[in-house]
Amino acid sequence: MKIKAKIKGDIVDVKVMAQHEMMTYDVAEKKTGDKNNANFITHINAVVNGKVVFDMSTSQFLSKNPIFKFKFKGAKAGDELVMTWVDLKGNTKVSKSKIK
Amino acid sequence: MQRRKFLSLGALAAVVAFVPANVSAEDYRTTKPETWQAHSVNDAMMKLYGTTTTIEKGIKLVAPDVAANGGAIPVDIKSDIPAKSVAIFQDANPEATVGVYTMSEDAIIDYSIKIKMKKSGTITVVVEGTDGKFYSAKKTLDVALGGCEG
Repeated sequence: MKIKAKIKGDIVDVKVMAQHEMMTYDVAEKKTGDKNNANFITHINAVVNGKVVFDMSTSQFLSKNPIFKFKFKGAKAGDELVMTWVDLKGNTKVSKSKIK
Repeated sequence: MQRRKFLSLGALAAVVAFVPANVSAEDYRTTKPETWQAHSVNDAMMKLYGTTTTIEKGIKLVAPDVAANGGAIPVDIKSDIPAKSVAIFQDANPEATVGVYTMSEDAIIDYSIKIKMKKSGTITVVVEGTDGKFYSAKKTLDVALGGCEG
C-alpha cells in the first residue's frame, strides 16, 4: 500500500492506495468462466497507537487499486499509522507509515 | 500468547483463521452478511440497519453529474453528525452495498472513495447517528461507460 499521512493542526489527512485487482463476480465469470474466482478487499482499517482510526467493510464495487482518503484526530507527527486489508480469499496486507 | 499453548490444534487453527476478521472494530461482512447480497438499496438498508426511514439532511455527498468511467467514480462524503457508521449504497450494480465505514472516537466523516457503477444510477449514503436516527443523502448520476465489465 502507498500511504501518505500528513498532520495539519490536530487533524491527520491520509491518502492510501491499495494495490488490488478488485475483481467482481461478473468479471470473474466473464474472464475465467467461474465467478468463484472473484476476489476483492473485504475489510480495511488503520490503527494508530493501538486505536482504530479508520475502519471500512468493503465490497467488489470499489475501483481497481482503490484509493481511500480519510481524516482523523488524536495523533501527532511521528506516530505510526498501520494499515491492514483482508481480501475475499483471506490474503492480508499490512503497511506502515509515519505521520508527517 | 501463553493461553494459546493450552489450546488444541483445532482450536488454534480456528483462532488463526479468526485473526483477519478480528483486526476490525466491526466487520460488517461477518456480522451482517445478508447486507452484501441485497439487490436493492432499501433491502440492503433493511438488512444492515433494520430500517429504511432516514432524515435527508446533514450530509454532504459529492459525485460527478456525469461519470466518463464507471470503473472509478469519485465519491466524497462529509458530515458533522456524531455517528456510529456510514454506509454507501447504489442501485446500478447487481448488489446494492458498496461499503460501510465504522466510526470510532477519533474518526471524522470526511471520506473519499472511488467506486464502480455498471450503469447510470443513484448513490445513497446513510449515516447511523449516535442518537439512533438515520440520516441520508442521494446523488443521481449518468455513467457513460459501465465499470463492472473490467
